[in-house]
Amino acid sequence: MLEVFDIRKKFGEVAALNGVSLRVGRGELVGFLGPNGAGKSTTMRAIMGLIAIDSGSITWDRAPITARVRRGFGYMPAERGMYPKMTVRDQLVYFARLAGLSPSAAKKAAESWMERVDVHHRADDEVQALSSGNQQRVQLAIALVHEPELLILDEPFSGLDPVAVENMKSILLGQVERGTSVLFSSHQLDLVSDITRNVVIVDSGHVVLEGDVREIRERAAFRYASIGFVEDCRWVPDMLDVELIDRSPRAVRLRVPAATEPAAVLADATRAGRVVEFSFAPPDLSEVFLASVGRDASNESEEVRA
Amino acid sequence: MSSASTVRLVMLREVRQRLHSLGFFIFTGLLCFGIITIGIVKRTLGEDGPARYHMAVIGAAPAGFADAVREVAQSLGIEIRVDSVGSRSAAEQQLRSGELDIVIDPTAGRLISRSKPPDQLAASANTAWRLSKATAAARSAALDDQQISSILSPAPLVPDFLQPGRNSTGNVATIVGTAAAVMLFVAISAFGGMVLTGVVEEKSTGVVEVLLSHVRAHQLLAGKVFGIGVVAMTQFGAALLSGLIALRISGITVPGAVWIGLPTTILWFIVGFVLYSTLFALAGSFVSRQEDAQGAAAPISMVFTAAYITVFALGKSPYATTTRIVSMLPPFAPLLMPLRIATGAASVFEIGLSAVLLLAATYAMLRLAGAVYGRTLLHRGARLSWREALRMTSS
Repeated sequence: MLEVFDIRKKFGEVAALNGVSLRVGRGELVGFLGPNGAGKSTTMRAIMGLIAIDSGSITWDRAPITARVRRGFGYMPAERGMYPKMTVRDQLVYFARLAGLSPSAAKKAAESWMERVDVHHRADDEVQALSSGNQQRVQLAIALVHEPELLILDEPFSGLDPVAVENMKSILLGQVERGTSVLFSSHQLDLVSDITRNVVIVDSGHVVLEGDVREIRERAAFRYASIGFVEDCRWVPDMLDVELIDRSPRAVRLRVPAATEPAAVLADATRAGRVVEFSFAPPDLSEVFLASVGRDASNESEEVRA
Repeated sequence: MSSASTVRLVMLREVRQRLHSLGFFIFTGLLCFGIITIGIVKRTLGEDGPARYHMAVIGAAPAGFADAVREVAQSLGIEIRVDSVGSRSAAEQQLRSGELDIVIDPTAGRLISRSKPPDQLAASANTAWRLSKATAAARSAALDDQQISSILSPAPLVPDFLQPGRNSTGNVATIVGTAAAVMLFVAISAFGGMVLTGVVEEKSTGVVEVLLSHVRAHQLLAGKVFGIGVVAMTQFGAALLSGLIALRISGITVPGAVWIGLPTTILWFIVGFVLYSTLFALAGSFVSRQEDAQGAAAPISMVFTAAYITVFALGKSPYATTTRIVSMLPPFAPLLMPLRIATGAASVFEIGLSAVLLLAATYAMLRLAGAVYGRTLLHRGARLSWREALRMTSS
């Protein structure tokens, strides 16, 4: 199990980490979320021993992480890191060898991973000749080629098309199934909901929310209700604390207190016209996040979702 | 996996990457071809060996004349073949056609040539003529052979040099030594530059972050320096071998000190390369972009170029006190010391001291690099200064 406890790091006068703590158990997939500059990469680099922390502790199975232990981890940095003029195959074999695999095992692992991330047809091409999506697949294969116990993936989904996202997702879930611990970061808060329910959200160097995505959303103080009508309709809700978010001739979107009964909203709408569409749901993770850090969703949701 | 095998893995990758490039082979091939061509040109231009002349005597030559000509010619560093020719007209015809260089008419007492003959050729003919005439006169005066020999061929002067050994190897050694210094300069600049861009490439592509999750910084540094060093040695060795082949083809006689200098040149090259390329690697770790690399390496390049200039400024006087001192200083030693060794100017003590100083400086540099490299390599953003980098050691 990976345990990060109260780590702090200052770069000059700027505090990058203000006491970040998180845990990733065996076979657990944890999404590490937050806006740009929140401290995600710094935390991940600290776990990989790439920066020295000022205080706090990072342990694996309750013991400090030595270089030997770290060799059994897989890491994918946010800024992709590969030799541009090395072929895909050579690259994978090289990193597998550095991680301690024998020459024959490294070769076998490289072939197998090129197949799994679907770049085997480019095995003898230089990495610089590949599209950025394919480069990202190779980068993932480098992190996985030695079957690591812990995977640290910094923004693995950024810049991927929907097909590649699905491929990445199934690979990660496959890893989790065989007992690998995975920590991946993303600044796209809402994208992770269907990959994992387990998230840690950071902002300005400290953890602001953590736990099950659904529970975090459920804890929000409000809900969104969307109602669609068959014909044009000027419905004015007859309820307390209702906020009109959006209105078009045949649709209305409302924000209501969490305690509001969905049936009451539907009943009120039905009195104004014939309803064909109705939804009642907690806010997205990004909105909960913005609400929790006290920022206005309308101003900053763009940045967080971007 | 042991530290040594990690370093070996990194090293092999460096070697493979360089040997994969066609440019390396083309450049090495051209370099060797160029060096060997110089040897061939030297030979065909006939600058090698003693000059050869063809002399003829009209009618019968005076007794002992032909032997005397050959003897004197040899002492002047030329070769003369002596034949006889039937008549003056035949002799003139052969002179015009270039078959003969000079003709002696003993009856008329004439030296005939197309135009003014080379000094050594004329001097050989004249001295031999006087000797044979004097011998004949001495015989007619009824002196015996021993008396004649003591009058005409007294024992030669015994040379007595105030500084024996100096300049004994002469020009060839200086040329070979300077050539070695030029080769060292070119090789260390080229391959040191390769280390520099290699380190910056790993930083700018971000691959260093992945590498450092498996490998320690000092292993990465050692593997890179040694790997590129192996490639450098291959090219340097090929150039050196071509140089030897060129010397052999050209027929130039190589003084013994040069042969002694050869293994030391290789040794100084290896240590010099490790010293400078470690510095270049350090400079590379201060920057994140290829554009900043040359700027960071500028102080090293300046010192190295200064060392190169001293080869020409001080190389002509390998015995001067300044040259002695400067050739001991580690940054200068890799270029200047092989030259002094080749010319036979360096004493065993000087060679030993210079080697110890150079090795000590290289060791200190490796220790320093090991302490700083891990931190500077992960530094991002603006270029670090040497002072900032050194401060990172203490923190």
